[in-house]
Amino acid sequence: MNNKSPAVEIKNLSVRFGSFTAVDDISFSVQKGEIFGFLGANGAGKTTTIRVICGLLLPTSGEVTVAGEVSNSGENRLKEKVGYMSQKFTLYDDLTVGENLYFKAALRKIDNEAASKKIPELFKFIGFSHSPSTLVRELPTGAKQQISLAATLLHDPEIIFLDEPTAGVSPGVRDMFWKLIEKLAKEGKTVIVTTHYMDEAEQCRRIALMRSGRLIALDSPQGLKKSAYPEPLLRLSGLGRSDSELLAKISADPAVEKIWPFGMRYHASLKSEEQLESFKKRLPERVSVERISPSLDDVFLKLVEGAER
Amino acid sequence: MKRNFVLHRALAIAKKEVMHIMRDPFTLGLAVVVPLIMVLFFGFAIDFDFRGIKVAVYDQDNSRLSRELVRSFSASEYFKTFAGASAGAPAKEIEEGKATISMVINSGFEREIFSSRNSQAQIIVDGTDNQKTGVVAAYLGGIQRAFSSKLSGSPASDPIKITARFIYNPELNTKWFIVPGLIVIVTGLLSILLTALTVAREWENGSMEMLLSTPVTPFEIVLGKILPYVGLGLTGIVFVYIVARLAFSVPFRGSYLALGAACFLFITTSLAQGLLISVITRQQQKAMQASMVVGLLPPLLLSGFIFPIESMPLFFRYLTMVLPPRWFTAIIRTLFLKGTPFEGLVIPFIALALMAVIFIAAASKRFKRDLEP
Repeated sequence: MNNKSPAVEIKNLSVRFGSFTAVDDISFSVQKGEIFGFLGANGAGKTTTIRVICGLLLPTSGEVTVAGEVSNSGENRLKEKVGYMSQKFTLYDDLTVGENLYFKAALRKIDNEAASKKIPELFKFIGFSHSPSTLVRELPTGAKQQISLAATLLHDPEIIFLDEPTAGVSPGVRDMFWKLIEKLAKEGKTVIVTTHYMDEAEQCRRIALMRSGRLIALDSPQGLKKSAYPEPLLRLSGLGRSDSELLAKISADPAVEKIWPFGMRYHASLKSEEQLESFKKRLPERVSVERISPSLDDVFLKLVEGAER
Repeated sequence: MKRNFVLHRALAIAKKEVMHIMRDPFTLGLAVVVPLIMVLFFGFAIDFDFRGIKVAVYDQDNSRLSRELVRSFSASEYFKTFAGASAGAPAKEIEEGKATISMVINSGFEREIFSSRNSQAQIIVDGTDNQKTGVVAAYLGGIQRAFSSKLSGSPASDPIKITARFIYNPELNTKWFIVPGLIVIVTGLLSILLTALTVAREWENGSMEMLLSTPVTPFEIVLGKILPYVGLGLTGIVFVYIVARLAFSVPFRGSYLALGAACFLFITTSLAQGLLISVITRQQQKAMQASMVVGLLPPLLLSGFIFPIESMPLFFRYLTMVLPPRWFTAIIRTLFLKGTPFEGLVIPFIALALMAVIFIAAASKRFKRDLEP
C-alpha cells in the first residue's frame, strides 16, 4: 500500500435494518494521519458508519476500503489494522486492568512477551497511574476510558476509531483525551472520532456532518464556516426576548438574511458585506454590534436547517 | 498454523472465563454445591413406596374371620385401618379425603365362607391418583392371596404360579431408580443455566462488541466458553456421585471410564444448548427463562426419569430421541445398576456425541456477527 492511498475510502455506502435506513448512500475518504470527526445527533448514522468500517456490520450496499482491505472480503485482515473503541465501556469490570489487557492481547495474537513490553509503554503513553492489578470496576471513569484506549491501541492499529470517547466524562478527562488523540495523529495514526461536542469537532482536521443517515457536509472546520456563512455574521447584544417589535424590524431589514437567538444574545447573518455599515446605522443606540466568526454551532444549525428545507 | 490460533484464542477466552468464575462465588456454587444439595434433597423427598395408606373399615359381620381379614391389612406397614363412621355411605371417608380405601365386609361374610368356601368383601379405592392406585392394587392382590392361603391352610392353589425375581434392584428400592435419574436432571439443568448467562452477559455489558472487533471467530468464543464449564460440571458430578453412593447406597456396577465419558458428553451437550439459548436471546433474563423451560420440563417428563418412554405414544417416543437427558438417563442407570459392558451403550453414546456436535455447530452458526444499531 503506498502512502498516497487514503486510510478509509467509502463509496455509496448504505445500511438498512429492515425498512429503516440508518446510512443512506454516503461517500467520503479519510487521509492517512488525519483526525477526522463525525458530527451529528444521536441516530444520525455515525456509529453505524463506523461499525461498517470496522467490519462489525456488513453494508447493505456500497464499497468500503480500509487500509487497502475491502470490507466484505477478509474481514479479519481488516480487523487487524483497525482499533475500535466503542461508546459503551467494553472491558470486564470483574477483571483487573492487567488481566483485561493480556486477554485482549491474546485475542489479537500478541504473545505474552510482546504484551508485557507493550503494556507499560501504553501506560506511559496514556499517562495511566493506577496499578495494573486494580480491578477495573474500582477505577474512576477517566481511568476506565484510558484503559479502553490502551486496549484499542494494543495491536498498533493503523486506523483508530473512537466512538464518543468523551461522552459523560469530566472536562479534565476530555481535555486529556484530546491531547492523546493529537499525540496519536502526530505519530502518523489516522484517528476517526465521533462526538457531539462542537468544541471537540473544532480540533478535527476535517468534519463529516451527518443527519438522518446522510452526509450533509464534509470539510475542515474553517471551510465549513466559510461555506455556511460567506457573508458577515453579527452578534447583537443589548436587546432581549421582549423586544419583539425591534426584532421584527431587524428581521424585515433588507440587509438581514436571518436573525436567531444565541444564548443570551442574538446572532444575525447579512446578505452581503456591503450592507454592513448601513445596517448598523439603522439600529438603535442601545444595540451593540460585533462582527464574529461563526462557531460550529452556527454552522450546524444552518446546515441542518438547510437539509430540512 | 491457523488451527493453532483457533486453539490459542479459544484458550484465551477459557482462561478469562475461569477468572470470572473464580471471582463469582455464585457461579461456583451453582455448578458444584447446588447439584449436591438438590440430589440430596430430592433424593430423600421422592419415594414411590407408599406406606400407611388409610383404610376405612365397615365390618358389618364382626366375626372372627372378618376381624382376621382386617388384621391382615393393619398388620402390614402399608395400611393403616380405622373404623368407618358413616354406615350406609362407605365412600364418605374417601370423599372427605380421610381415607384412600374403604373396605366393606357385609354381615354373613364368615357364614358364607364356611358354607360355600366363597365370600366377598368390597373394596372402594380413590382413583384420583393413578400412581397410588396402581401400587394399592398390587398390595391388595398380595394380601388377598395371603389371606386365602391362610384360610385353606395350604399355599394358594392357582393352576399356574409365576414367581418373579427382580435382578439389578432386587428390593425394588426406589432410591436406586430415582437418584441416578436425578443426577441427570440436576446436572442438565444447571449446565444449561451456567452457559445461558455467559454470552448474554457479554452482550449486556458491551464486551461482546469488543470481542467482535477483534479477529476472534464465533467458534472460538463458543469453544472457549464451554471448556471451563465442562471442568466445573465434572467436578459437580463427582460430588453428586459421592452423595449417591454414600447417602443413598446406590450401587455402581459399570466402568468409571464410561461414566466419565458419558458425563463429559452430556455436560458438553447441555452447555452448548445453554450457549445456543444465550446466543439467540442475548439477554440474561430471557436466557434464564428459556433455560428453565427447555432445561426443566422436557427432561423431567420425557427423559424416562419417572415416566417410562415405552408407554408414550409413538410420536413422543421418537421426540424423546432429541433430548440429551433421555440418552444420559439410559446410560447412567445402566452404569449404576446393570454395569453392562460398554458395547451395550453404543447407541446412547453416539446420540449424545452427535447432539454435542450439533449444538456447538448451531451455537457458532447462530452467532451473528453484526451488532444492533
